[in-house]
Amino acid sequence: MVNILCVCGNGMGTSTILKINIQKICVENKVDAGVESCSFSEAMTYLPSIDIVITSPEWAEMLPPSRATVATVKNLIDTAAVSKALLDIVREKFPDEINV
Amino acid sequence: MDFYMDLFFKQIFGQPFLLMAIVVFIGYIAMKQPISKALSGSLKAAIGILIMGMGSGALIVNFGKLLKALQDSTGIQGAGLNTYPTMMNAYEKMEAVLGAGTGASWGIYTLLGAFVFNLLLVALRKYTKIRAVFLTGNVMIVQAGISTYIVWRFLGLDMLPTVLIAAVVTALYWGIMSTLLIKPTQAVTNGADFTVAHQQMFMNYLAWKLAPHLGNPADDIEKKKMPASLSFLQDSIVATALVMFISVAIILLVISNDQTEWLRSVAGLGQPVLKNNFIFIAWISFILTASIVVLLFGVRMFVGELMLSFKGISDKLLPGAVAGVDCAAIFAFAPKSVVLGLLFGTVGQLLGLLGLLVMSSSIFIVPGFIPLFFDNATIAIFANKFGGWKAAAGICTVNGLIQIWGSVLAVKMMDMTWWQGSADYATIWVAIIAIFRAIGAMLGIPVAG
Repeated sequence: MVNILCVCGNGMGTSTILKINIQKICVENKVDAGVESCSFSEAMTYLPSIDIVITSPEWAEMLPPSRATVATVKNLIDTAAVSKALLDIVREKFPDEINV
Repeated sequence: MDFYMDLFFKQIFGQPFLLMAIVVFIGYIAMKQPISKALSGSLKAAIGILIMGMGSGALIVNFGKLLKALQDSTGIQGAGLNTYPTMMNAYEKMEAVLGAGTGASWGIYTLLGAFVFNLLLVALRKYTKIRAVFLTGNVMIVQAGISTYIVWRFLGLDMLPTVLIAAVVTALYWGIMSTLLIKPTQAVTNGADFTVAHQQMFMNYLAWKLAPHLGNPADDIEKKKMPASLSFLQDSIVATALVMFISVAIILLVISNDQTEWLRSVAGLGQPVLKNNFIFIAWISFILTASIVVLLFGVRMFVGELMLSFKGISDKLLPGAVAGVDCAAIFAFAPKSVVLGLLFGTVGQLLGLLGLLVMSSSIFIVPGFIPLFFDNATIAIFANKFGGWKAAAGICTVNGLIQIWGSVLAVKMMDMTWWQGSADYATIWVAIIAIFRAIGAMLGIPVAG
């Protein structure tokens, strides 16, 4: 299972919608994923167990270094852009998590 | 019969944690999700409601002690600006009269009713012109709770009419304001297919209309250089603690030594060991921030589940509707405006507070990070887009001031220790409260609580 974390400023609105959309994207593309959302402040606590972080470019810059791959999307509500950014990383780094 | 009435209406549908679990469960089933998912989702929602209660309980008790010290020492009534504590305060005031669990469950019924009315308004868009569905569960639950309290406080009605009136008013606010913002949101996001559904929508609209007259869109701050070191202020926990620290320090400076000692004592906050005032102030501001973090953690646990249901239902029933989402969704399109808004909003709020002192107002406001940051950031984005940075700076300064003064008016009418403080709740909602109060007074209805 690939662990995905959605990060936004307050961890309420944007990251929640993002989580809902990513869960849908993962089901549609048969990616075995666990998706969580949180605020930037809390991201540090989650990071050690996370494989992919999805957030906007500003937050990405401020994240501490971790083993997670960070994907940035400017419009986090744009499902097509999120889908592309996420699936590119999954295909490249976690190809085994896609159930064909 | 009484046994079942009590079981269903008091112990199940009158208990917010079970009510939220049922709502989430139905949402999952309606979206044809497996039972196991529906069960785990509703379990988390129920626990989330209880965690929210723990955070807000601690917050309201500790903050209450601080306000008591302020009032006993100076006669000034204090009120804090923050979203969820305002909802909990509204619930609490209803529950003091109606019994435990009532405020929160009435609020949740209003939330569901308002969502249904919002869908109806969009379904009838040919006639209503309303095209946006509010999906921002995190602000919807707060707004619905406050609407419920406003209607109940001034009209003193039973559950059904209170919930219906509050739901209609809330749904109209949601539908009309977020529909008005579809056009400017698309301009800001280069055509993204959503609109802002939050609590500074009226000011966003004004910023869109006024900014072109106040400045030049060519002075776009996004095209200018700005120091990156200011970005840390966007970290909500850091900024909340900072705002709290300053506010608590001011309160401790204002109150007498006796009151400070009372606060330190077991009857107050119970920290007799912290004799050093600096450490004591730090402890108070951090414990208040910690309570807010716990509260937000709980909210997040059920709001995610709730939004999932709302979005699923809306996508299914009204595929053509414009999604109304959190204001922060546009922040990435204009990151410098976000910081600009925070800075000038702070200037405005400080001017507002100074004004309260100069006019020796009987109410003092303790600013909060959520209304300060999210509102002014969003308003700045619209103002900068349509009138450049000078328009954004001007509008946010005025907005900061309005947030403080408008909240004073609201607190006066509502008699609460917390208030939303967001721009809409310092402007149009003040007017709505005044209207309900006038109707109540005209009909000779005593204030319910």
